[in-house]
Amino acid sequence: MEKERTLWGEFSKGFITTNPLLVLMVGLCSALAISTKVENCIFMGLAVIFVLTCSNVIISLIRNFIPDQIRIPIYIVVIASFVTIVDLTLKTIPAVYERLGVWIPLIVVNCIILARAEGYASDAKVSHALMDGLGIGLGYTIVLLIMSTFRELLGTGKIVMFNTTIVTLGTDKMPVIFILFPGAFITFALLSALLQWYQQHRKPKVKEG
Amino acid sequence: MNEAWRYFLLFFGATLVANILLIRFIALCPFFGVSGSLETSLGMSISVVFVMVMATSVSWVAWNYILEPLGVGEFLYIPAFILIIASLVQFVEMVIKKTSQPLYRAMGIYLPLITTNCAVLAAATESVKPGFFTKLNIAYHYGFIESVVYTLGVAVGFSIVLIIFAAMRERLDLAPVPKFFRGIPIAFITAALFSLAFMGFAGMFGL
Repeated sequence: MEKERTLWGEFSKGFITTNPLLVLMVGLCSALAISTKVENCIFMGLAVIFVLTCSNVIISLIRNFIPDQIRIPIYIVVIASFVTIVDLTLKTIPAVYERLGVWIPLIVVNCIILARAEGYASDAKVSHALMDGLGIGLGYTIVLLIMSTFRELLGTGKIVMFNTTIVTLGTDKMPVIFILFPGAFITFALLSALLQWYQQHRKPKVKEG
Repeated sequence: MNEAWRYFLLFFGATLVANILLIRFIALCPFFGVSGSLETSLGMSISVVFVMVMATSVSWVAWNYILEPLGVGEFLYIPAFILIIASLVQFVEMVIKKTSQPLYRAMGIYLPLITTNCAVLAAATESVKPGFFTKLNIAYHYGFIESVVYTLGVAVGFSIVLIIFAAMRERLDLAPVPKFFRGIPIAFITAALFSLAFMGFAGMFGL
């Protein structure tokens, strides 16, 4: 029972308390660039979850055999192999691959993955590393989905996924700025401010309890 | 269009029109991480320009003389480029430490950070491996000089924005900002306005 709870704890902490984007402030680059379309975010989220979970597990498995001095190159090679798998897999969907472009190879240097490898998986049990990878990956994906929904809806007035319109506001006259570059920064600033507001509101309650 | 003009356009496009930070969102982590003070961002900028140009040169040689002729480029380019960058950074750090102490003090602590600076890998991948070049309206043939000019442009663009932004953030610390926007959120709002200004470069010289 207790073990289950810790596993769940490892999994769920990625959503808010150590959310990679909003709290740890890592992996911002891809999040801001990709979040113009909900569809892109789904693929990017899946790619990151896959790479993060697999590299976490592998690094946790071999953590006792890695010489300390060359651990970073080893982590990078492990991560790069999984990114290559994703890269070659996504190439079979040309439309998506063209839009994600250079972001796929850039998952290698996505700070989220190296940060989790170095800061967490390098001394954690395999089961915990697995849950951590899934949780942090999902936390990343959730923020990505929130941002992209907001931006695509406000910027274009509708959400199009796999060539079908899912939600529409029924007008084309929308502030295009949200789908352009400044919109990404503004959206992220609002989310980040929201989180600060949430945390400052929650603190007094914790003290009383 | 003569060659010199084309190189200028390539440089200009990489620096301002498709600025790596504000228009393409690459390398935002060091951008928000080190832009707290002007001094650190200067040190970071010098190191980035230096490492990026070297990384692209070595990657170009590796791609054209090793990976491509052997036919393994398609699935080995990611590990190959990142290892080149990682070992190059280590090497540069050692050389600087031995040869110039003042330079080491200025650049030293930023060098390890550059390994995970996505801009380095992005510039190397785009300028060396066919299929990733950004959609600037300019012919690009993946020659050596072109790659170096393009990378230099990317690095200079990174530095300019980093230094200006650091100066802005130093002022921002003194500004009366709404409570929940203090710190990171206001930095992002500032970046948004900054990015809006950079959008003005779009279309210059037909780029």
